[in-house]
Amino acid sequence: MEFTVSKILWTLLGLFIVLNWGLIMGGTMRKIVARVGKRYGIPIYQPYIDLVKNYSVRSQITHGVMFYLGPVFRLSGGVGIFLFLPLIFGSDHWSNFSFSGDLILILYFQFFGMLGMALGAGEGGHPYSAIGVSRGLSQFTTIEVPMTLAVISLAVQYNTLSISEIVAAQQGGLANWTMVTNPFATVAAMLSLLGAFGHSPFDLVKAPNEIPIGPPTEYHATYLGVLRTNAAILHVVEAALFMNLFFGGATNWFELILKTFLIYFWSVFVGVVFPRFRIEQSVQWFLKIPLILGIIAIIVVL
Amino acid sequence: MDFISPINVVAVSLGAAFFMGLLGKKAQTVSYILLLGALLFNTIVSGQWLYGLATNIIDAQQVYTAGFRPPFSINLLMGLDEAVITTLVNIVGLLGAIYMASGLHKKGSGSQVVYLVLIMSLNVIVLSRDLFNIFVFLEVGSIATAGLIIMQKGINAVSAGFKYMLATGIIASIMLIGVIFIYRFTGTLNLDFVMQSHPVLKQGALISSFLILMAILLELKPFPANGWALDVYESAHPGISAMLSSAVATANLFVLYKFTGMAGESLMYYISLIGLVTFVGSNLLGINQTNARRMLGYSSIGQIGLLVAIIGLVPHSNANFKLIFIGILTGHYFAKAGLFWIAGIVKAQNIKEWSVLRNRPVLLFLFLTFVLALTGFPPFPSFWGKWQLVMGLSQQGQIAAVIAILVGSFFEVVYLLRWAGYSIKLEPGKLPEVKLSQFIPVILFGLGIYATGYFVSQATNFGDTINYIPLVVVAILLVVDFLPAYIKNSLSILATGWFAYLLIPGQDTLKLVFTVIFLVGGILTLIPGFHVKGKRAGFYPSAMLMFGGLALLIEAENMLQFFFAWEIMTLGSYFLIIRGKESMVHAFSYMLFSVGGAYLILLGFGMVSVGNTGLSLNLLSQIKFYPVLAMALLAVGFMTKTASLGLHIWLPGAHGEAESDVSPMVSAILLKAGVFGLVLLMLAAGGEYNNYQGLFYTLGWIGALTALVGNLGAVFQEDAKRLLAYSSIGQLGYILFAFSIMSQLGWLTGFTYTINHFMFKAILFLSVGGIVMRLGTHNMYEMGGLIKKMPFSFIAVLIGIITLAGIPPLSGFSGKWLFYNAVIMKGWYFQGAIIFFAGTIAFLYCFKLIYSIFLGQLKDNHRNVKELPFWYLLPQYILILGIMVFSAKPDLILKPLGTALAAAFPSNPLIWEGTKALSQLGYWDATTIMIVIGTMFVILLIWLMLMSRKAQNVKQFNIVYAGERPERPELTHVSHNIYAGYNKALGFLVAPGITGFWNYATNLVESIGNFTRRIYSGNGQSYAIHLVSYIVVVFIIYISSI
Amino acid sequence: METIALITSFVLILIGLYGILSQKNILKMIVGFSLFDTGLHVLIVTVGYIRGGTAPILDQVTGTSNVSDKIVDPIPQALVLTAIVIGLGVTALMLAYALKMYQEKQSLDIRDFKELKW
Repeated sequence: MEFTVSKILWTLLGLFIVLNWGLIMGGTMRKIVARVGKRYGIPIYQPYIDLVKNYSVRSQITHGVMFYLGPVFRLSGGVGIFLFLPLIFGSDHWSNFSFSGDLILILYFQFFGMLGMALGAGEGGHPYSAIGVSRGLSQFTTIEVPMTLAVISLAVQYNTLSISEIVAAQQGGLANWTMVTNPFATVAAMLSLLGAFGHSPFDLVKAPNEIPIGPPTEYHATYLGVLRTNAAILHVVEAALFMNLFFGGATNWFELILKTFLIYFWSVFVGVVFPRFRIEQSVQWFLKIPLILGIIAIIVVL
Repeated sequence: MDFISPINVVAVSLGAAFFMGLLGKKAQTVSYILLLGALLFNTIVSGQWLYGLATNIIDAQQVYTAGFRPPFSINLLMGLDEAVITTLVNIVGLLGAIYMASGLHKKGSGSQVVYLVLIMSLNVIVLSRDLFNIFVFLEVGSIATAGLIIMQKGINAVSAGFKYMLATGIIASIMLIGVIFIYRFTGTLNLDFVMQSHPVLKQGALISSFLILMAILLELKPFPANGWALDVYESAHPGISAMLSSAVATANLFVLYKFTGMAGESLMYYISLIGLVTFVGSNLLGINQTNARRMLGYSSIGQIGLLVAIIGLVPHSNANFKLIFIGILTGHYFAKAGLFWIAGIVKAQNIKEWSVLRNRPVLLFLFLTFVLALTGFPPFPSFWGKWQLVMGLSQQGQIAAVIAILVGSFFEVVYLLRWAGYSIKLEPGKLPEVKLSQFIPVILFGLGIYATGYFVSQATNFGDTINYIPLVVVAILLVVDFLPAYIKNSLSILATGWFAYLLIPGQDTLKLVFTVIFLVGGILTLIPGFHVKGKRAGFYPSAMLMFGGLALLIEAENMLQFFFAWEIMTLGSYFLIIRGKESMVHAFSYMLFSVGGAYLILLGFGMVSVGNTGLSLNLLSQIKFYPVLAMALLAVGFMTKTASLGLHIWLPGAHGEAESDVSPMVSAILLKAGVFGLVLLMLAAGGEYNNYQGLFYTLGWIGALTALVGNLGAVFQEDAKRLLAYSSIGQLGYILFAFSIMSQLGWLTGFTYTINHFMFKAILFLSVGGIVMRLGTHNMYEMGGLIKKMPFSFIAVLIGIITLAGIPPLSGFSGKWLFYNAVIMKGWYFQGAIIFFAGTIAFLYCFKLIYSIFLGQLKDNHRNVKELPFWYLLPQYILILGIMVFSAKPDLILKPLGTALAAAFPSNPLIWEGTKALSQLGYWDATTIMIVIGTMFVILLIWLMLMSRKAQNVKQFNIVYAGERPERPELTHVSHNIYAGYNKALGFLVAPGITGFWNYATNLVESIGNFTRRIYSGNGQSYAIHLVSYIVVVFIIYISSI
Repeated sequence: METIALITSFVLILIGLYGILSQKNILKMIVGFSLFDTGLHVLIVTVGYIRGGTAPILDQVTGTSNVSDKIVDPIPQALVLTAIVIGLGVTALMLAYALKMYQEKQSLDIRDFKELKW
């Protein structure tokens, strides 16, 4: 596979679509949450307004080089996952740069943005940032355990770590989806998704009212704009990853939009129902039922 | 050449003694010169015979007395054995007289005569072939000894001397009964005739020979009937204790050896048992000692027990018997005399006061020489003796005896090295004035032990394959230790470079990886040494001992070379580690685990040699004797160095408290020696198709759990260096796991982790070590905000933790990717998941490390700290270059490695399409990833810079803080116990259970020792009762067995 | 005759040994040693005794042929002399020690000399 100009252009177009869908989806979800709470809520296009406002604020400060680089790392993380993830099955244009690496690359590239963000926030020097990061990292360790077991289960089931091949194996109808063929892995992964998306009860990192927004406390203006951009992209591509692994992937954009919406909605749905955990509760929660399901998922495919 | 008849030893000694007696009290000096003259004469006579017999100029010779041939007269035999033993006795006799010059001189001719008579009697019991004659001179020796003990003033020496007389009196009577009955039953007193009639010895005669042997065994102080001897060792003049331990014991051991011909096979078993019980028991009790001389007494008795055991265990016809015996005997002989003599110089009784030796580095060096010789380290004679002993016993199938010997040796190591540690580390007091006459014998014995070690090594099977060049380098560095550090540093780097130059060209790929890590790593970690001002005494010999050992390890082709290198390296690293300010206990525990591990390796090698010929390391692939057990022993031995779970508790302290540039040496480089051992072992096991699946499965689990516990332990550290140390435990767990997979991908994973860990851990330890040096604290919560002061270090640490965490695009990810493929193909899902979990835990401590040190709030007292010195940054940036190359082009290393591994691991190889690696499951193109991420990062950075052109730097406390301004950085730098919640959730996993286990084990050993040593009540009569009961008990056991 | 001597010697040895192991007074212990030694000396002589033999001196009584049948074994007799001398030396030195010990502590009880232990 080569980096041709057309390939790069197609990929940028894909990124543009994903960004917009991410913004709209984010707005929609906030609207839904508001309505559940008996509030009117924001207009769906509110994220666009926020983005424009953030990027155009004039006065800015910086706490240092790492602080400045934090958002760059963060956005690189989101965009990077996008780049390495094949979005639309069977389409050469929308497979991005997934020829560089397989599922493992994506799993580990998530950390790239997290680490940079954590360090940037760290240089900001705000105590809440450090607290938020420590919570996030703590929670993350156990979130990933059921997820890993599910991924291993999949790799064994399909005998591949290539996402395209996993999607290919699920083609031909609902009965071939991992959701049906490997329900335990799917459930384990979907439970850990709750933690990864950081909605209640696992919203300890940003924890409104507790450590007001946590790590990004010191980030404002353009930095915040960059972070919001990343959030929009990341929501879509992470949901798309789950879609590819468990729900048959997508053969066109419509399918992608629908499936990512539902996957994302799952975490929002849980979030409006449950209150926030304390950190030790959250850490232990993933080592109970999700872990057992993950183990079963592996035993099943043995 | 005319040989002086050995009978003249007796004649001249008696003559001199007679004249000295005549001289009386006035002419002390004349009589002292006479004494020295007589002793010198003895030495010359025996030395001359030794030379003649060893070079075959002359044959062994009988000396007949009174003009008759035996059995009608007493005869002396001067053979090679006798020549060796009498030479040893006479040399220590002569030097001992010089050592005690002032004492002997002052006391006058009386004690001088007694001294001379003692030495003469020892010569006679060695040479004589007549039972009664031996009895007489044993008794003369005992009386002389008792006479010398009383030289020392004070109640202790007097009561000890009386206890000694009680005991030797009873022993002599028993011997006399035996002698007289032997005469009754055989009609002769000549040893050779008695032995000829041995086949006809019946019940009564058997009992009499039993009594004679028992008497000589009791002279050798078997545990526990030896309280009388301990008191003498403790209270006599150290010169006398030295004589007892070296000369008297040597002569008596030889008598035992002569007498065994009388005993026949049935008694040999009991002799070996008595020896082993003594060796183990006495060393066990030595652990509880705080009085140096008493401790030496326990050690003496233990060593003599070992020699007794050797006489009983190894068939005297065995070609190696004499080598083993002489090796261990001379090790004991030189070391014990040397140590007792040093004890006389130091005067301090408590082992904690021996740090006074640091006032005289030469004395300290000699002291350490003797201690290490006793513990059987190379290049001392006891090392070769012990090696040959273990190999020989293993081949005889005497594994139980080997284990007993190793256990006893281990106990001995415990107290001797604790003592060494005290003397190196504790605050030194004032050293009493050292007399030249006391100093010279010690120095000569120090030289003697090295020379003997060399000669014994040349006589050992395959001993001539040992490469001494690294030791020569160490010796040179010792000699030039007075030069400034930068010269010695340059010399060390040159030497390491030279080793590398010799080893690297043409080295096979797998070993090449380790060669580069050991030696190039060595050079890199030596570079920071240029920052050190002053002499840095003792550092460079230790460092080169370690790196030399590592080089030898690579070179090793047979088990002896390997074990030699292993021990050399261990020694060097011990002396490096103990240099840290708070390192005494940690270096000690490192050494205990290392020595324990080394003994397991030795035992394993012993088992490997069973049924095989030669010592080649290739034999590891054809173990015939309990192969799984042998493999497991070797693996556990290596795992003490890799600090695997259960054997890891030494590491955090040892690495955490070491000096700033030592930590990277021991952590990034030394740990890989254990990995190297495991790699050799696993290759020999047969690679992919091996017969040890169960063993490697277990190792895999151990690796996974080690990774988990190590990483989790790191999370809860507040000490930056300990955090890195725990992280090393975890990383080495990954490595153990990866190699245990035993597939090509698994091994590639293992190698990738090994290379990565070497690079990033060196970077991290150099940075953090440098920072600790700059700030003077290990505690991360006392740091903070240093990014502005030390930007280059920050970048280095950042690269280090990205690599550690396995985040793409750096090379850590190569390891992770390979790891997943290997695990899934192998089917080790759960272990793999644990490792992955451990990997995510690594993020916690990585963040804590870099955040607490470099980010957050700068502390007021650090506002003036400077960037790390150039000499610390240089190696870090060279290593960063290495990481970058390995990250962008992993195929440069992994491709040839894959080819090299294909022989042992043929199936499911990693396939390379240019820079893209394909496994059966997935693919990964490091170069492309690097390009994609790099380009994207730069574009996004430009994007942000465009959008925020006007961002202005603000001062430290300008943060969103509820509209307030925090006053002190401590208030806002959240770092201490930052993972409290995590601790609450998962901290139970790192509850110090394993430390508790080892503490329990240690306490158990100590309390057993403490309980047992109460039999030494101090009552001389009880000791006499012990003696008599000992005979009765052994007699009953013996009789009931025939 | 030999039997009586043999029994005597063993009885002496046992008495001596008992004395050494049971008496607390150092002097009494030394006396025990002397008894022990004496027993040993009797034993040695007994072992060399040949019934009806004469003193091992070559004279008219023994003649020059078949001497060994007519005399008792001379070697044990030589040995016993040496043993007696040694025993004397040991006893003397022990007594010297006893004196020193008494000077140090004004006591002759062996139980009082237990500074060194364990």
